[in-house]
Amino acid sequence: MRRYLALARMQARVVLAYRIDYLNGLIGLLLQVFLLAVVWRTVYGERDSVDGVPLATMLAYVTLASVQGWLFNPWVFTLIPDRVREGRVGIDLVRPVGFVSQVVAAQVGRTAATAPFALAALPFAVLLSGMAPPASPLAAVGYLVSLALGYAVTTVLSVVFGLMTFWTMEIGGIFIIYRMVAQFLSGALIPLWFMPGALRTVAQVLPFQAVTYTPTAIYLGRLDAGAAVLATGVQCGWVLVLALLARLVWSRALHRVVVQGG
Amino acid sequence: MVERIRRTVRVWAALARAGLRTELQYRANFAFGILGGLALQGAGLAVIGTILARFQQIGGWSLPELMLLYGMRLTSHGLWTLPCSNLMVIDTAVREAEFDRYLTRPVAPFVQLVTRRLPVTTISDLLGGLAILGVALATTHLHWTLPRVLLLGLALVGGALVELSGQTAIAGLAFRMLSTGSLKFTLDDVFNTFGNYPTKIFGPAARWALTVVLPLAFASYVPATVLLGRTGELWIPVWLAWAAPAVGVALFVAAYRFWRSQLNRYASSGH
Repeated sequence: MRRYLALARMQARVVLAYRIDYLNGLIGLLLQVFLLAVVWRTVYGERDSVDGVPLATMLAYVTLASVQGWLFNPWVFTLIPDRVREGRVGIDLVRPVGFVSQVVAAQVGRTAATAPFALAALPFAVLLSGMAPPASPLAAVGYLVSLALGYAVTTVLSVVFGLMTFWTMEIGGIFIIYRMVAQFLSGALIPLWFMPGALRTVAQVLPFQAVTYTPTAIYLGRLDAGAAVLATGVQCGWVLVLALLARLVWSRALHRVVVQGG
Repeated sequence: MVERIRRTVRVWAALARAGLRTELQYRANFAFGILGGLALQGAGLAVIGTILARFQQIGGWSLPELMLLYGMRLTSHGLWTLPCSNLMVIDTAVREAEFDRYLTRPVAPFVQLVTRRLPVTTISDLLGGLAILGVALATTHLHWTLPRVLLLGLALVGGALVELSGQTAIAGLAFRMLSTGSLKFTLDDVFNTFGNYPTKIFGPAARWALTVVLPLAFASYVPATVLLGRTGELWIPVWLAWAAPAVGVALFVAAYRFWRSQLNRYASSGH
């Protein structure tokens, strides 16, 4: 455990060393919150509620989903490509800790150091858009559980995707495509309930919605107790399936290691 | 003057060819670079399309109308990023004293800066923008007259100049500040977020700010209202709306002069 903590701390220091970059990211986040809030207010117009979703709920969704999405789906969502491209993966492999565990520990460290930035942005997001208390005490508990599971899903997903670098070496464009698809289908920009039928079905069968949409919808009471339990079950299922997939991909990736400039 | 422009274009074309050759060494990477760029810009349109699927309009603008605005904005964006996006790396050029070289060569330093390397993948902005614009033009059924066609063409260039002048002004600050990354990315963010929506929806305060302080409205929104016959919703006179491309030119001239004046502040880094 101590080894993992050391790795996490190391990555957290990297984030704090470049804190100015994260402050800039926050401006982008707040601009997005403001834009989405304006767009929803505009399309709601005089109506208080559309399809049973009150405007206040929608604005709270924007605040929560945007800030969470920013924290859970960062611009550099996996550390693997850099390690592989620069050949530093060679050093990682001789460490007495598994490579995937190292990557996960580093990712957690980075998120821990980024979280204060997200918390600092939250009051501004609330001002620009809106906020609502949790639908019920039970919803608050369900939210925290679901949030943790959502983080687990996004972390394992990024590991699986990052491991692809062992085959592709450097295809930056693929990572941008992945990031945009992941952000959109996670519900960070538009909640699943306002997606047209076919798109919603696609979003529902993919793991991305378990990252941002599920916790936010539980918090706002858009999923009742039964649906919330089911949704967290789906999240657990994704963590399990993706972890197995990561294991499988890793066992094959190991045979593809090329250490450059060793 | 004409000779100077011709030489600049020749230098630029030679660099473009060199840049393309470099990129084609890694074909898969180049192709995915372009697809990545398209995904980045397409995501914004996907949001609009998804919202429109449920709400039919945003501030009275239908999907084809919003696509016209989006296509104009993205095309303008591509028109400035393809030739000039090296402006974004001015911090490095100043800090590492690359400007020493620029000042001794017989070509304008600005041209040397923007041509230091050509990022060919930014062509995705232009390709995406033109594709969206094409679809929008095919679905809006506008009444086209010669002045309107001219306005569209000039507005695309004018929109590019509005954004370029903002980036040029910030680049001018780099000679003294040395670090302007945050300003540049924020400006880029503002254009990429607010530029794609009708400016009027942002409310009176932001509306004026985006007309006077940061004249983003003139880039694509104002000329789009003329083309779509929506000038009724504007808060500026209609003749000024027609003159939107000229606003872009005026802004760029002012920004370039500012940049030039700041060049005198350049203090090379100690070697």
